[in-house]
Amino acid sequence: MAESFTSTGPDLPSPTLSARLRELAAYLAAPTAGHLTEEQRALSLGIARRLVTTLAAELDVGINVTALWDDWLAGGIPSAERLAPACFARGEEHRWRQQSAQSAPTVSPGTAETADGPPAAGESELSDTDRAFLALRIADRRRFDALGNPAIAVADLDPDLLRALLLDIAAWWLARDKGDGNRAAALGDAVRTTGEAQQSATGIDAEAKAYHAILIANGDLSAVAAGAIARHDWTTLVALAAAAGKRRYADMALALITAEVAALPVLLAPLRLDSAALAPLEASLAMLPARALAGDDAGSGATA
Amino acid sequence: MSGERIIRGRVDAGGALVSADPSLLRLQQRAGAGLGRPLALPQLARLVALAQRLQRDISRPLYTADDHSDIHALVRIAPDADGATIEISDWRTRPVVMPQTPPVADVGIVPHGWAWECDQHLRVVALRAGAEAPSIPAGWEGRSLSELFELQPDADGRFAVLRALARQASFEGQRVRVEIGGTPLTMTVAGEALFDATGGFTGFRGIAVRDPETTGAAPTSGTIDPAFGSLPLSDPQFGRRIDGALRGPLSRIIATAETIHGQFDGPIRADYARYAGDIAHAGRHLLGLVDDLADLQNIERPGFKAARDEIDLSDLARRAVGLLGMKAEEKGIRIDAPRTDDRMPAYGEFRRVLQVLLNLLGNAIRYSPEQSQIWIRVDREGDRAMVTVADQGQGIATDQQAVVFEKFERLGRTDSGGSGLGLYIARRLARAMDGDLTVDSAPGQGARFTLSLPAREA
Repeated sequence: MAESFTSTGPDLPSPTLSARLRELAAYLAAPTAGHLTEEQRALSLGIARRLVTTLAAELDVGINVTALWDDWLAGGIPSAERLAPACFARGEEHRWRQQSAQSAPTVSPGTAETADGPPAAGESELSDTDRAFLALRIADRRRFDALGNPAIAVADLDPDLLRALLLDIAAWWLARDKGDGNRAAALGDAVRTTGEAQQSATGIDAEAKAYHAILIANGDLSAVAAGAIARHDWTTLVALAAAAGKRRYADMALALITAEVAALPVLLAPLRLDSAALAPLEASLAMLPARALAGDDAGSGATA
Repeated sequence: MSGERIIRGRVDAGGALVSADPSLLRLQQRAGAGLGRPLALPQLARLVALAQRLQRDISRPLYTADDHSDIHALVRIAPDADGATIEISDWRTRPVVMPQTPPVADVGIVPHGWAWECDQHLRVVALRAGAEAPSIPAGWEGRSLSELFELQPDADGRFAVLRALARQASFEGQRVRVEIGGTPLTMTVAGEALFDATGGFTGFRGIAVRDPETTGAAPTSGTIDPAFGSLPLSDPQFGRRIDGALRGPLSRIIATAETIHGQFDGPIRADYARYAGDIAHAGRHLLGLVDDLADLQNIERPGFKAARDEIDLSDLARRAVGLLGMKAEEKGIRIDAPRTDDRMPAYGEFRRVLQVLLNLLGNAIRYSPEQSQIWIRVDREGDRAMVTVADQGQGIATDQQAVVFEKFERLGRTDSGGSGLGLYIARRLARAMDGDLTVDSAPGQGARFTLSLPAREA
């Protein structure tokens, strides 16, 4: 009897080869679609690393974050599917703001030199509006690390994603630590307390709502939003648009960055801006390279 | 500042401005022309001519200047049978400064210090400690910078941060005392002024670095040149002051000379028009020299270091082509750039690598014959990622290749095309990024400049 032979196909590929093949398959599935640039990949990866580092420190300062990240880099980041939208949104927002900052003036003509006087700062009583704006600005700046790199503040993270990441980190630490029972209990507590702490923390969404509410009460919403566009203050614009549209800040940022020009008035309709006020926004978005436009398979933001 | 948000204008088939919103008309008038006259803004006029020649809409960033400010905008030109319509959006003015002026301090790099930011009223909106820095005091949010940091006067009894606030300018060397957990610390604070897109001052961002334990050490001052008072040549302030003093007048000389050369105010004697063209050309040369000298002063200062960003040489090459494509198009030069899906991951400082590529590509365009071709190729050899710019110019003899990277070396060229500093700066930058810049050429066979950098695994 002839020996039968069934091919099992090629040997199991290495993880690197598998990753390349998956990437190629994704490319072949949509060759004309715009693909991530190196800058976009690097930004998202950096944001993910900073988030994981922060969360690991929240859980247990003893966690070897370098080893954790090395393991996850080699084997893939758990919760990658859920983490990707958050990192991409933050990265794209950062690219947009960087582009505006690079084209903004860096130095002002010096005003007349005045004598050194007592600092005027912080001494006058702040109005409610100013206080809310200051709080929004502080919440925004918490979305950077000490080196000015973009990050996601724990307070701004989707609670489900936060829990998933905390559990992933805890699982990794326990596996590495050979399942110490006491440590497992402590980590479980830490996951719970970190989640609870996030509930009470005020992130950019809460500050956006507060600022929006004050502007509505004062009837200043449209003027402030228009001013933010003129100043290229995209944080304020996104915050107000998000609060007005009852969406999260990150969702609104991504919606704006990926919007066709025709969709901008619809997205920003609650702010009641006239079309001329939108011109700087359109121009700024048009100049952002490698934008993933909604409904555009080619994903381009280049000007003609 | 943006007054009207979309500024419109119309030129007829002969290139004369026949209608314009006030801002555009004002600019035209400041350039010495008016309605019914040829468009007197050289870059805009060139864009209109290009759109008419190509018979398609074009959108480009526009950089021009009036008496007081540079103007940045996005211009869209829609040609038709009777002329063209101009739409300018995002019209922004900015003071006449060099946009690439390095910040007063490397505010982003603070492993042993704090990074801080405050608003225009000195209220602190961000405070973070670097990895090796002392922990930050609690409750800093919204507090006054001068409350958080107890400011110490300098030898003249002045406070650098307060002077900077009055001038809305950057500062450094502000000594402060701060208490952390009952322990007093002495730190030195530096900050750069921040502005929004309308030129409004929005605050400062900077670093605070703990002073060495050995107190009484004077701040490092470098070598003081008596000819320049207390401001040493090596001080970045010197470069900025020289730059500020030269850039504005030169820009105005160029704009006026271009206007005369274009005979926008009516015909003048041909030799006078030619002289004006020479003046504009020389002015642009001097402006380029100012840029180069400012750069030179920066990269030659002790301790200059380029950042190690994760970059993609293919992406940067395509960006360079995007920026200089129009210049090449004007000479009918075709640029064969890396394809959109080409990748060449490397390490280097993003903007510095782009600067080097712009220099190489700019040279290639300048010294290539009309209707020729330029190739940009990316490649990898071992741990080096490389990008090569090759042209069909006259080439460089072997003996000249050794000196082409020398300061002020122009290989005997006397035209005002370059300062002779570009390649010197480019190679210095390449080496500061652990890379190199080399040339391979022969007379009559074009030149191939190769920038190599440490390769990065994708």
